[in-house]
Amino acid sequence: MLLLALSDAHIPERAVDLPHKFKKLIGVPNKIQQVVLLGNCTKSYSFMKFVNQISSNVVVVRGEFDNKTIASTRNAKEEIPLNTIIKQGNFSIGCCNGYTIVPKSDPLSLLTFARQLDVDIVLWGGTHNVEAYTLEGKFFINPGTCTGAFSTDWPVQESETSGTDQEATETAAADAKTSQPTENLAADADETDDEEDKSAPSFCLLDIQGSTCTLYIYAYVDGEVKVDKVIYNKS
Amino acid sequence: MSYAETIDQAIANCKQQTVLMQRCLTQEKLMDALKHTSIMLTELRNPHLSPKQYYELYILIYDSLSILSTYFVECHTKRHHLADLYELVQYAGNIVPRLYLMITVGSSYLQSADAPREEIFKDMIEMCKGVQNPIRGLFLRYYLSQRTKQFFQADDVEAKKANANFIITNFIEMNKLWVRLQHQGPLREREQRTRERKELKILIGANVVRLSQIVESDFTMYKEEILPQILEQVVQCRDVVSQEYLLDVICQVFPDEFHLGTLAELLATSLKLNPTVPINKVVLTLVERLNGFIDRQENSDSDDLAQKLAAFSIAGENQNLFFVFWKFLNQLSDERPDLSLQELAPVIQGVLKLTLRWYPQNISNVDVLLKFMYEKCQEYGKSIPEEYDYLFNDLLLPQEFKSEPAFFCKILTKCESYEKLLSAQNISLQKHCTNEILDTLTQAEWQISSKLELEKLLSLCGALIEPGVDKPSSPLMLEEEDGLDSDNWSLTPDQEKLAKLTHLCYNKSIDEHSELLLTCRNWYQKSGRNVRYLFPAIICNLWKLIRRCQWKIKRKPERREKLNNTTKQLFKHVSRTINDLYSACGGGCFDLLYKLNLQTAALADQSELGDIAYDFFSQAFTIFEESLSDSRTQFQAIVSMAQTLQKTRNLHVESYYDTLITRCTLHGSKLLKKQDQCRAVYTCSHLWWATEISLLGEEEGVTESFYREGKRVLECLQRSLRVADSIMDNIQSCELMVEILNRCCYYFIHGDENSTHVGVKYINGLIELIKTNLDALKLEISSVSEEHRGSNSDEDRTLIGIDGCYIHQSTLNSVAAVYSKPPSSKTANLESVPIEHFQRTLRYIQDQKDVDSRFKAIVLL
Repeated sequence: MLLLALSDAHIPERAVDLPHKFKKLIGVPNKIQQVVLLGNCTKSYSFMKFVNQISSNVVVVRGEFDNKTIASTRNAKEEIPLNTIIKQGNFSIGCCNGYTIVPKSDPLSLLTFARQLDVDIVLWGGTHNVEAYTLEGKFFINPGTCTGAFSTDWPVQESETSGTDQEATETAAADAKTSQPTENLAADADETDDEEDKSAPSFCLLDIQGSTCTLYIYAYVDGEVKVDKVIYNKS
Repeated sequence: MSYAETIDQAIANCKQQTVLMQRCLTQEKLMDALKHTSIMLTELRNPHLSPKQYYELYILIYDSLSILSTYFVECHTKRHHLADLYELVQYAGNIVPRLYLMITVGSSYLQSADAPREEIFKDMIEMCKGVQNPIRGLFLRYYLSQRTKQFFQADDVEAKKANANFIITNFIEMNKLWVRLQHQGPLREREQRTRERKELKILIGANVVRLSQIVESDFTMYKEEILPQILEQVVQCRDVVSQEYLLDVICQVFPDEFHLGTLAELLATSLKLNPTVPINKVVLTLVERLNGFIDRQENSDSDDLAQKLAAFSIAGENQNLFFVFWKFLNQLSDERPDLSLQELAPVIQGVLKLTLRWYPQNISNVDVLLKFMYEKCQEYGKSIPEEYDYLFNDLLLPQEFKSEPAFFCKILTKCESYEKLLSAQNISLQKHCTNEILDTLTQAEWQISSKLELEKLLSLCGALIEPGVDKPSSPLMLEEEDGLDSDNWSLTPDQEKLAKLTHLCYNKSIDEHSELLLTCRNWYQKSGRNVRYLFPAIICNLWKLIRRCQWKIKRKPERREKLNNTTKQLFKHVSRTINDLYSACGGGCFDLLYKLNLQTAALADQSELGDIAYDFFSQAFTIFEESLSDSRTQFQAIVSMAQTLQKTRNLHVESYYDTLITRCTLHGSKLLKKQDQCRAVYTCSHLWWATEISLLGEEEGVTESFYREGKRVLECLQRSLRVADSIMDNIQSCELMVEILNRCCYYFIHGDENSTHVGVKYINGLIELIKTNLDALKLEISSVSEEHRGSNSDEDRTLIGIDGCYIHQSTLNSVAAVYSKPPSSKTANLESVPIEHFQRTLRYIQDQKDVDSRFKAIVLL
């Protein structure tokens, strides 16, 4: 079965929509059996509608900017839990938004979480940063943000590249002729730097068959969708 | 001779007579053949046939007359001379059979070269006047036109003209007959007559088609000879059906280029029509044809086009099609004040389509048209009824706009009348339109970079911004509650779109970009409580700007001072926006306000602005203390605060960090529920144990400067253990202790005893304590019947989540159900929760012994 993990859409307060190519990929009804929203996804009517079209089986956990409740059917409110467990195949999957994990995204803390809920796979979000790793025989997946929404976490530092740039200008300073083009380069980079404060949109798709979970990581980089594949077997 | 009573009989008769006629022809008895033909033709005199039946009969007879005609031609001069026959058939008794025979003979005669062509033509058309009954006359003349069409291939101009005149004369007569048909019979059958006439229209239209075949590409002839005569007839007949149909046919059958050349005439004619003719149909057909012309020009650069137009002597004023239409519109409004909005709007829409296709970048054309419509709306005086919505919807949102967002945006921002016309509509249509506008812009990822543009767009969105009285009616979301502390509001689709508009703002200059955002804020302010939907988007964009400043500082250290000032200014904007949000919504979004403050604080810390970060943290505390009342919200707020504080790096001036984390822990220890207290405090222990942020280049074991105070960590753990111990419910108490044990393992891995103060002795003691308590718990539950427990444990299962909620897994559902209150303990087997959690933890410690020898000191049994 296919399980889709989306997180941190932050529509509309931080992002307008999913990348069009993502929508085309996942917006096919009856392909995906279950969708997990790992927080900060419930504020947009159009997004929720889109998700409900993918699959009627939608599991939501609460992110810091979600409301306490969500309308499940016409007249009933359902409380959005902070953490929950899904059973698929031979796996139990623990889901939570990272905002209640202290220290944030700490592998050992997440491992503690996995132990408390007795799960094999942990799906978490909140960091806008896609990652997947195994630790102590458990599988940890963060699908990142599906819209490329802004995050107030520490940004990716440019220290290395800018450091080398600086060095380059310093060494070049002796040679006045070569320093000219370097400055131009820096100026050019300055024009385009605005895009960098956006995280790259990404999401994850889990194909669960018995004791095998194949994880597909979809990332939207420079207008293209890139896919990575990781296989995890339950021991 | 008389006709049959029913149509079936008539058909049978015709067939029979045809057979007889053919037999006579083979026996070369011409006179007998003519007699049978005559009998057959008598059927066409039947006045009781409906047009459809008459047509059926006509087709049959046409075929048999063709047989006769072929015979005439083949045997011409061999057995008879057609000139004689022409005379002969004049003696047929009845006029209808006589004329049909005459046309048959005449047209056969025309096929021979020596025939007196013009005389025959003239005679035939003159004689046709003899039948004045509309249906019979129409078919007879149709027969004439069908029989003669093969003779109209002429090359020289004069012959062409003569042929055209012949057809036009026939056409005029036919049209007269057609019109007369309307006025026949009793008045109550008028509608039936109209219906019948429409069934016959093809007979008249065939003439126009024939004319177009004669004219071919001779524009001068069309313009000077043909069109004036047809149009004159169209105007003179003053008949609705006829006028509507004929203008349509003219537009359809002649080439588009001709219409380009005669546009003014066509439009002038449409003004003279019977007032009940729908004028918009005429205009729309014309526009379609003209737009079709453009579509068919494969490489239509403007020079090429101008040349083509010149070829049809279209120059000067008339070269601007829009101008021609515009003059027409003005005349229309002068001469036909009776036209309703409903009739006028489609005309305007048609002209709009034309200008969009012919002059795609011309905004003033659009403006003029919309202004015209707006003035008409003003004249209308009353509020425009909802039935007209679709008309204005088509005017305000034509497909051409939506597919060209750049042009659309120009229209929106530069076209004065668009806004006027929009604001003249009722609220629901206005809302619909603004929704569509916003959708178009967001889908196109349109960038708004100037303040003017933005203000224009925002003022267009007025209908969405003003807080309406109507409640959101989306099926997925629930109606909002106006209770003060409800935070159960969901975004309405309208507000969602408006919020997305904020993300379209972009300017390379940070100052100008922030001005754009402030403009948005000022507009959104009008929407009252709805700002809670809109302000978060503004705040997020201000955050982005702050990040942008930081990038710039790194790139251009020489501009640090100025950029730092800008950053501070931006934080002030954020603060003000949060405050405005607070005063506009009061309650209802305290949790949101709290988290916005927290995240802004984190951002300020990253920007190395400790003072500002401290301020925002303090704001968050104030909200926590004054306004967050729900115990679970409070717990989550503390955890969230701890998480944020744990990641800060620039608060160590003036012992801000110490103040803040102490305050946070203190609040945690004062939470209402003991289990919340316990969890909050052990979570807060992390505040004295900074961990690496690899993005900053920090590395565990390498970086020396981590803020770590093991003594305080241990104090926190001890304190939370005391709380856990004091909880009366044994299950709760044990579970919390196991959770604390897990925290201890965390610190144990992180360092040895003299740094973390969490040592083997402490852990061993804790394990001992948990064991004792669990034994007591087991004693407690041994009274519960054994088989009950056994049967359930395989299937349904309950776990306690990190916030203390109960996660109930059942075999029936893949997704666990989550409760905040404990389910009835008998079925849920709650006592197994801490027991199993403890076992898992011990197993983990056991496993760690292989990896980390320090773990070996921990006693598990």
